[in-house]
Amino acid sequence: MSLKLIIGNKNYSSWSMRPWIAMRAAGIPFEEILIPLYLPGSREEILKYSPAGKVPILIDGDNAVWESLAILEYLAEKFPKANLWPADARARSRARSVATEMHAGFAALRQHCTMNLWLPPKPRPQPPEVLADVRRIDSLWNDCRAEFGQGGPFLFGRFGATDAMYAPVVARFRNYGLDVSETARAYMAAVMELPAWREWVDAGMKETWVMRHNEPDWPLVRGVEYSP
Amino acid sequence: MTLKLIIGNKKYSSWSLRPWIAMSVAGIPFEDTVVPFESDEFKRQVGDVSGTGKVPVLIDGDIRIWESLAILEYLAEKVPDARLWPKDIAARAHARVVANEMHAGFQPLRNHLPTNFARRVIKRDLTPPVMADVKRIEALWADCRARFGKSGPFLFGAFGNADAMYAPVVSRFHTYDVDVGSDTRAYMNAIMALPAWQQWTAAGIKEPWLFEADEVDWPKTYNLT
Repeated sequence: MSLKLIIGNKNYSSWSMRPWIAMRAAGIPFEEILIPLYLPGSREEILKYSPAGKVPILIDGDNAVWESLAILEYLAEKFPKANLWPADARARSRARSVATEMHAGFAALRQHCTMNLWLPPKPRPQPPEVLADVRRIDSLWNDCRAEFGQGGPFLFGRFGATDAMYAPVVARFRNYGLDVSETARAYMAAVMELPAWREWVDAGMKETWVMRHNEPDWPLVRGVEYSP
Repeated sequence: MTLKLIIGNKKYSSWSLRPWIAMSVAGIPFEDTVVPFESDEFKRQVGDVSGTGKVPVLIDGDIRIWESLAILEYLAEKVPDARLWPKDIAARAHARVVANEMHAGFQPLRNHLPTNFARRVIKRDLTPPVMADVKRIEALWADCRARFGKSGPFLFGAFGNADAMYAPVVSRFHTYDVDVGSDTRAYMNAIMALPAWQQWTAAGIKEPWLFEADEVDWPKTYNLT
């Protein structure tokens, strides 16, 4: 039975991006069902798949799995050869700490710099709590790269669940022009070179649904005055 | 090598309770170190080991793990006999779903009803967002109990990681006398009857530290003695 992944808009839905990019990068086949968010009927449509009413949701036969990190754990178990977690116990424990810190944390960054792939990249003033989140993430990435990243350009060498959890952060850092270390920039470049990343971003850029509360330059959208 | 668990106050630290109760119920030997929030010792000890400056932190030799849920995953792998996740794949997937929903969610509930093991049971009025959280938690507990909980009194039958993640919610519901259904109350009673729960509560009541932010009637405290 083929896997189905229920996601929101690619331009805006950071949580949806996580399992999608993990599965694409790992070559796990799945069918995508996209439900544009915050439109009349969106919520009812999502509730058909999960009582929590949130995307992403992975459907595997009778199992419905939601919460991006729970989906990644499910995939890691179901596809052990995809190596979504590092094989070494110490690296794996760190990968989970760092992924889990993303799952519940960095509220300021998420609130002030909502993911928006078509937002023209340039620095925009940010409050101190956002800059503190950026510093913490930069330091986490530096630690992972230095201690565990020898086998490749990603946090634990090869691309895995932790990178998937931070993929939307790479987008936020890029689009909001946030200032990060050289190591962080190199890491971001590696993520943005993934074919899976490009495929997601290209599709997001082609979408036409505009969510005003996720457009920091409003009434500018994509750099020009918005007219529906 | 003995596992070490660094935790905050037992009175207030809901996140610390999670791995502590999981390890205690499962009989996994460990030493705990209580580091009071806001103390210099807290900043020194916790800042050093976790990088986030947050508790809980589990130390296993040269491995340091932070985030309650990441610690529970680590323990599930290290001590498979403890069965911290259900054996059946569908049950395990769902246990992780509800554990994750707790890990990143229910902010209104957490803000409005802070964990306080030393507080007497006194009803607190709920706001609509808190009521929505309570309703969602009751529904997800009922669903776990109905689909996966037949073999025991906990969410997936035997006590495990999903229960550990929600243990602080049991405390919040109880302390603030939240109106819940009889099935919810039965589940809460099963958690509160655990010897580990009673041990944690007894230790929390004895703690001398008081934090204004976690005392909803400050400057009154209504502590159990």
